[in-house]
Amino acid sequence: MQTITLGIKEKVFEGVARVPVELDGVTPDALCGKSADEIKELKVWWGNRQEKLGDLFDVGVEGSAEKPDDVKIVCKGDFASVKRVGEGMKAGEIIVESDVGMHCGAMMSGGRILVKGNAGCWAGREMRGGELIIEGDADDYLGAAYRGEMTGMTGGRIVVKGSAGDYVGYLCSGGEIVIEGAVGILAGLGMKGGRIVIGGDAEAPGGEMTGGTLVVKGKVVDMLPSFRFEGEEEVEGVKLKKYAGDLAMGKKAKGVLYAP
Amino acid sequence: MAELLIKNGIVFDPINGVKGEKMDICIKDGKVVESVSSEARVIDASGCIVMPGGVDAHTHVAGGKVNAGRLLRPEDGRKGLEPRTGVCRACSGYSVPNTFATGYRYAKMGYTFLMEPAMPPLKARHMHEELMDTPIVDKAGMPLLDNNWMTLQYAKSGDVEKLAAYIAWMINATKGYGVKIVNPGGTEAWGWRKNCGLEDPVPYFDVTPAEIIKALAEANERLSLPHSIHLHANRLGQPGNYETTLKTYDLVKGTKPSRKRQVMHATHVQFHSYGGTNWGNFESKADEIAKYVDQHEHVTIDLGAVMLGDTTTMTADGPMEYNLYLLTGRKWTNCDVELETGSGITPFLYSGKVAVNTIQWAIGMELALLVKDPWKVVLTTDHPNGGPFITYPILISLLMSRKRREEVMKEVHSVINERALLPTIERELDWYEVAVMTRGTPAKILGLHEHGKGHLGVGADADVAIYEISPEETDAGKIQKALLNAKYTIKGGEVVVKDGEVVAVPEGRTFYVDVRYEDEAVWKEMLSDLEKMFKEYYTVSLANYPVQDDYVPKPYVIKAGAAE
Repeated sequence: MQTITLGIKEKVFEGVARVPVELDGVTPDALCGKSADEIKELKVWWGNRQEKLGDLFDVGVEGSAEKPDDVKIVCKGDFASVKRVGEGMKAGEIIVESDVGMHCGAMMSGGRILVKGNAGCWAGREMRGGELIIEGDADDYLGAAYRGEMTGMTGGRIVVKGSAGDYVGYLCSGGEIVIEGAVGILAGLGMKGGRIVIGGDAEAPGGEMTGGTLVVKGKVVDMLPSFRFEGEEEVEGVKLKKYAGDLAMGKKAKGVLYAP
Repeated sequence: MAELLIKNGIVFDPINGVKGEKMDICIKDGKVVESVSSEARVIDASGCIVMPGGVDAHTHVAGGKVNAGRLLRPEDGRKGLEPRTGVCRACSGYSVPNTFATGYRYAKMGYTFLMEPAMPPLKARHMHEELMDTPIVDKAGMPLLDNNWMTLQYAKSGDVEKLAAYIAWMINATKGYGVKIVNPGGTEAWGWRKNCGLEDPVPYFDVTPAEIIKALAEANERLSLPHSIHLHANRLGQPGNYETTLKTYDLVKGTKPSRKRQVMHATHVQFHSYGGTNWGNFESKADEIAKYVDQHEHVTIDLGAVMLGDTTTMTADGPMEYNLYLLTGRKWTNCDVELETGSGITPFLYSGKVAVNTIQWAIGMELALLVKDPWKVVLTTDHPNGGPFITYPILISLLMSRKRREEVMKEVHSVINERALLPTIERELDWYEVAVMTRGTPAKILGLHEHGKGHLGVGADADVAIYEISPEETDAGKIQKALLNAKYTIKGGEVVVKDGEVVAVPEGRTFYVDVRYEDEAVWKEMLSDLEKMFKEYYTVSLANYPVQDDYVPKPYVIKAGAAE
């Protein structure tokens, strides 16, 4: 087991701009078996400059690992302006002890990320597999497709203990998103597959959905008129109404929406 | 300027009849010269192939349409991200790269001249602005003149003289290079939600595409322009369109060329070589097209080959793009350029699992291999319509290696054995033929060989590509690798690429034609028609229309017509 700690240095917060650091490429796969000195030499983008990881973070390494599965990266300090944490990771574990910036766990295909605070926009964007757990709130575009893409999350699991922003699971085609709190507008927009469960309220959920299952346990604000009532069912211990839709999509409409 | 001596390379310079001879190339002050002094910097090209810089005769790299493609497809921008270096600016995009990436990537492949073939005249400034920002390579753009109301009127009345005067005015006003025709009549008909076959009258104007093409060809020769008409024929992409294509070629059989060249360059012919009556019995008719091209001197073609993968399709052929959008259900954008032209853009995935796409993929290569005379064929993918230009090395390696073609044919849809010809073709191109199709032919067709492009004779521009590969090499993978990243690219006597990396980024020049029409009386009548047109229909005034010299900071002017 190899445990790597990244403690963010004060230097990153200097100046008015609070330029974000981008940690793509700093994953258990990439760091497996590397010494602290080797890790410090890795290059990361800080705004429009490439810096050594060691110049922006205090790096500590305990133990060693043969394979990425046995690597744990612990992020200490305020990571709210650190982007792309765990982007593209395939195995191992990342623990962020604070809030985290945008694109956390984007395109990850395996392993586990635990965020103890809130996550910025695009968390779990285009996720392929693995597990992303956010103990605080998630911002907009959780598990969504990026600008212009045809498909968002395709696999894996995202759990949010708090609430989430707008466009949860936009163009999602697989995997599972569970949000214990409320969400903003258009959760499951254009979803084609997979499962989204929302514990709290949701506004206009399921627009343009053609597949998958969307469960809203709280109140639905602005229920879209293009869903057809199909009867009542019990889902995870809650009695809900079942709807088929989004009928605005014509013959392709094979989505299922559960709402109170 | 420094002198250069490229020593011991195996040179392929088709225009000067050099077919793989070991020789030295001397360069001084940006030109190829007889000899250089002992001070010259020596580039050792032993074991390497040396060619003139590549000339792309048809590539959509700049202007409103390309930029609309970039805006439509942020997901394409993600694919080609490269951070800036000490020399290069940041790059993005794959099928619709940013201007910098376009310049660098072409230079890395050894290309030094690009022809943007679809400039809506009203948006000429946008194209020139983007050409300015396309580093290293030389370039030019051709105005779209076929669906223009002035053209339609003159074609209707059969007034070739006034049409010639108008073309001269328009080429000067847009700082353009030649006459581009895209689905003549069809794009205008699209304003009525219609399209045009070759003999269908254009709504309101009551003139047929055949009449438009003939009139433009006559007018083009009347002005003695360096390039012939450059034609995207009617019915692009429709099953059974090869008959229309052949009829179109026949239209100008009697037109007398004003220069020693073709009178019609038919572009992206792959999209025009389809048999069958519907998508179910869609088949290749590349053999019919190839036979015609071989038997006639007045037509040249470029491939518009399809490479399997994701790309962005964009053309001034608005109705065709709309039909494609209906087929895929992906996103689509459309543009109408007042009384001049229009355009459409939609992403497209050419998949080897789809029968039609597989046949399309085969046809591009069939055309290259079935036309016997490489001096009639230019290698293109109609970037980005058939595939991004960055796939040229793959296309060339396929054309050079039957073995690689067989490998891919095993992977694609089995329909290739029934409704395409590629499996029956044994021919493999050699390096000389590749040099002809990527250097000699495009330069000659565009009339650029008289201006130092496409060859390495004394006095030619010192645009040279050096590829680290032996002429005997038959391994397709190695061919592809060598062509993608040239060992050296030299542009205007300056080393711009070394070992596959861009090392210098000089500005390229913009070529345009200065053409004069000499009959004062006809000129005045045309101007009065034009003034009326501007007053009644255009959103801009005539005085504000012509592109200022500031838009062409590094010009190369070719004189034609009475200006010659």
